[in-house]
Amino acid sequence: MQRRCFGRLIMAGIVLAASALTIVPAMAQANKTITGGFDVGPGGFPGNFHPLQATAGFTWLSTYYEPLVIYNQDLSEIVGALSSDVSVSEDSLRYTFKLVDAKWHDGEDFTSADVKFSLEFAKNPASGSLFAARLADIASVETPDEKTAIVTLAKPNPAFLAILTQIMMLPEHLLGAKDPAELANSDWWSTEPVGTGPFKFVRYVSDQYVELAAFDDYRNGRPKVDRLINRYFANAAAAVAALKAGEIQFTYVEPDDAKTFEGNNDFRVIEGDSYVINYIGFNHKVDLWKDLRVRQAVMHAIDRKQIIESLYGGAAKLASCGYVAPQIVPEGLNDYAYDPEKAKALLAEAGWDQIGGGQTIPWLTYYNSPQVGNVMAAIQAMLAQVGINVSPRAVDVPTYNGIVQSSDFDQFPLVYAGAQNGPNPASLNVNLNPAQIPPAGNNIMRIDMPELTEAIEKAMAETDTAKANALWQKVCSVMNEQLPWGSMWVASRYGVTSAKLKDFFWTPAPAGGPYQAYPEKWDIAP
Amino acid sequence: MAAVENTLASSERPRGPARRAVHRFLINRAAVAGVAILIPIVAAILSYHLWWPYAPNDIDLVAMNKGPSAAHWLGSDGVGRDVMARLLQGGRISLLVAVSSMMIATVVGFVIGAVSAFGGRFVDGMSMRLVDLAMTLPPVIFLLVLASIAGTGIVPTIIVISLLSWPVLARMVRARLLELRERDFVVAARGMGAGMPHLLLRHGLPNCIDILVVFATLQVADGILLEAGLSFLGMGIPPPEASWGNMLNSARSTLVLESYPWQWMVPGAAMFLTVLAINFVGDGLRDAFNPRADLK
Amino acid sequence: MWQYIIRRVAVGLLMLLALTVLIFLLLRLTPGDPIDAYINPQVPMSASDLEALRVRLGLDQPLPVQYLAWLRAALEGDFGYSIQRGGTPVLPLVLDRIGPTILLMFSGLAIAIVVGIGTGILSAVRRNTTTDVSLSVLSFIGVSSPAFLTALLGLYGFSVMLDWAPSGGMLTPGEPFSIGDLLSHLILPACLLSIAHSAMIMRYMRASLLEVLSQDYVRTARAKGVREFWVIVKHAVRNALLPVITLIGSTIGIAIGGAIFIESVFNWPGMGLLMVNAVTRRDYPVIMCATLLTGACVILVNLLTDIIYAAVDPRIKVS
Repeated sequence: MQRRCFGRLIMAGIVLAASALTIVPAMAQANKTITGGFDVGPGGFPGNFHPLQATAGFTWLSTYYEPLVIYNQDLSEIVGALSSDVSVSEDSLRYTFKLVDAKWHDGEDFTSADVKFSLEFAKNPASGSLFAARLADIASVETPDEKTAIVTLAKPNPAFLAILTQIMMLPEHLLGAKDPAELANSDWWSTEPVGTGPFKFVRYVSDQYVELAAFDDYRNGRPKVDRLINRYFANAAAAVAALKAGEIQFTYVEPDDAKTFEGNNDFRVIEGDSYVINYIGFNHKVDLWKDLRVRQAVMHAIDRKQIIESLYGGAAKLASCGYVAPQIVPEGLNDYAYDPEKAKALLAEAGWDQIGGGQTIPWLTYYNSPQVGNVMAAIQAMLAQVGINVSPRAVDVPTYNGIVQSSDFDQFPLVYAGAQNGPNPASLNVNLNPAQIPPAGNNIMRIDMPELTEAIEKAMAETDTAKANALWQKVCSVMNEQLPWGSMWVASRYGVTSAKLKDFFWTPAPAGGPYQAYPEKWDIAP
Repeated sequence: MAAVENTLASSERPRGPARRAVHRFLINRAAVAGVAILIPIVAAILSYHLWWPYAPNDIDLVAMNKGPSAAHWLGSDGVGRDVMARLLQGGRISLLVAVSSMMIATVVGFVIGAVSAFGGRFVDGMSMRLVDLAMTLPPVIFLLVLASIAGTGIVPTIIVISLLSWPVLARMVRARLLELRERDFVVAARGMGAGMPHLLLRHGLPNCIDILVVFATLQVADGILLEAGLSFLGMGIPPPEASWGNMLNSARSTLVLESYPWQWMVPGAAMFLTVLAINFVGDGLRDAFNPRADLK
Repeated sequence: MWQYIIRRVAVGLLMLLALTVLIFLLLRLTPGDPIDAYINPQVPMSASDLEALRVRLGLDQPLPVQYLAWLRAALEGDFGYSIQRGGTPVLPLVLDRIGPTILLMFSGLAIAIVVGIGTGILSAVRRNTTTDVSLSVLSFIGVSSPAFLTALLGLYGFSVMLDWAPSGGMLTPGEPFSIGDLLSHLILPACLLSIAHSAMIMRYMRASLLEVLSQDYVRTARAKGVREFWVIVKHAVRNALLPVITLIGSTIGIAIGGAIFIESVFNWPGMGLLMVNAVTRRDYPVIMCATLLTGACVILVNLLTDIIYAAVDPRIKVS
């Protein structure tokens, strides 16, 4: 075994040196390149190249792949990308997509056969696609002609278009003949993928960077820059160091680091809504929180406004329910103002001393940043003031998931977590609906409140926007009243770009979007 | 680093080995300096609750990130806690972790090394393979996996650090005692039916004291550094409990690194000074136990 | 001699096996599996989406079955596919990363050896002078500094503030490969990596040389009129080097560990970073393969050191 290892080592060394020396030299020195940390931060998914296995990282994926429909720049509506027009039938079961003229990176035309293939591939669990369950409603995909595709659902799904924004179109002429299970493990995705986006794939250097080159025949015109490079960083701090050193022109930054760029004219700070509601989760299977007064006391004991001001620098919106979007938040909500005396009174009424007075309650989270560490320390001190003793425990994501998906409720009586609450408000359904209790969904706090469930399901079923907003408002007020969670705030997220970038657009969308960033328009001053 | 003054050679009655060792230690300026640094540090750490007004976990969201001032001698951290109080409390935790893990590692290392030396070929082979296995284990994986299983906190950290440190001592003890195994008094003792505990305590221990003492001292220093490293990787002692390691961890954020240097420079300096002093002392002890150290 | 080697190799193989079993068990004991690593807690996705994936990866089989399947495949050279990286084959991935780590480690080691031995000799020869004292203080400082802090400060100071070196990575992205580019990326992390190691080597070299310089044969050489320079270089240093060599060999394992901080801070694409990422994502195939290879290399290095030592010093009996 050692000899093989040794021999392989030598081989590896030789191969490494040889391949390094024979790397195809890049194009002429005077080409324009934008380098950025596109997969830094929560919206990124470094090292993943299979668009159907992506849970994030769509900002980068959408520079060389394109979906049928996509969100616009402020994530307020869904517009067309590879489809120029979408019409929905009366019964909400048939979606007709008119397709644009586009070419694949290898020169072939984009046709409806590609749409049919891509959707069936995404629906097929054997391909390793993570969208298989969400697309199970698709009954059939028809292609009456090359530029039209008709998708028929088995039952109406108002979220169908939202799901489609993350399904990238794949070339049928290259992948159609292959076995889907093989493609799940194939290195095609990271060596020679073909898409329709403004940039085409050049190379991936393992764990270091991905390089794309401009696609001359892009349907909206050749991109202004010649190369796009996505550099991977072990953490956000390293990306910030590279940005300051001028090696990259853009990256996501932690809120604390964004402060260090203020007032610096060489950089531009981008602030955006994270669409993630941070909440204190009460485990509904544990006796501690069964009494509503206890949950109310927790809310009153925490000075949320002070925390937002001191620890978030004001860059977070106070949340009185699961949403902060103005059209979904009704008037007259209880704002649970900071009142430790009231909290103590409520706890006394509920008999907190018997329920949980003496215990130290583990408080689980998967956030490992110093900022959240400070936030949790502040909250811990505030809760200790009124007699609730919590002990924060930060773990990594797989450990967190392993614990909360299990039935070992004593390990997670209380959590601090975030949940995506937009752009589609129905996103919270997986967290609040008893039908979504693991393993079926993500309702890790085992919430089962009939009034809340009913309100959510009614709102999800409504297809008219104005009426739906009114129904979501009802959901919000139920959440505010009954406190399935302790909703805290929605924080802003930041990106920083070099001042040399022109027409560059980025917004911190959940999972990276995708949204219309127009990569073909990005330009860089020399 | 022995600054030897040969003034005591001629007219004194010859001293016993223990007194000579102490003398060698006291002559070593660095070692004495180390002790002189450590005593006030340890004293301050153990007694701070008697004379320092702030508690390490009292947050104060109004006085966050303030620099050193009359109110907070060493400034305040990201949630307004007093840095001096956290420094001293952190010293307690870091020292506790380092000393506990040192004791465990010393005992385990000595026992395994000595049993291996005195126990016969098979036992020797097995224990040395165990030691090799422990040393081959990539520390990265071991740390990460152990931390994921055991969780963070004082006890898991102590266990992790002990597990990383005992193999080195086992090897050294075994090497020293292997020489002894063939000596007459050991053979005689075994011939008379001495059991393993007797061999370990009466013969093994006195002959390894110097190795053990030096190892223990240097291990405390290593333990402090390891704890800091673990906290840097996100394991070790989790906040809000203070430890020098997790206070240093705040330096990961560029904001703190640039704008609030007192938050990480102070624990860094304290850790560095303590480890330096312990290293001086350990080195002095090693020279003190070595009777040939003051030969030119 | 040959018997000794063969026996050691056989034992080494057994230890590798034990190592893989140990790591396998530890990994399975860790809460959370690779599928849990996939689920982003903030994204509205459900666990049943991934259930099929779990079955396909064989994660629902009993543990001994899983281990034996892995072992059987590994013996044929098939180390499976990385879960985290959507199906990249593991062995080429890991082998790709060994090169940079070895490069970094050996550069650090080379610098440490040169600096450590050089200053050790200087310090011993000029014992108790200012040179000796200041070098010794420096060595204490080197040993007392926490590795990650030095790395962070070094990165920040030399790269961001002074702009003397690039801020991370191994090569400049997009540029064609050049040795100069590689060296400019290598110099800072290698130097920082060598600090603690060179301090340790220096102290051991100094102590060993001092011990040798007090030996009778050195006194004889001096008495014979040999020039001081040759006394030191030809007689003393050669004998003093032996224990230092063993030390260097036995601390290579520690160097691998220290490299992980450096690799993490500098984003150097080596094994340390690979392991950290793989453990964070519970990428079992990668962890198993990387552990096996690292373990094999450490065992190999230990064996080589022992053999060299035994061959060089005729007084050592190979028991």
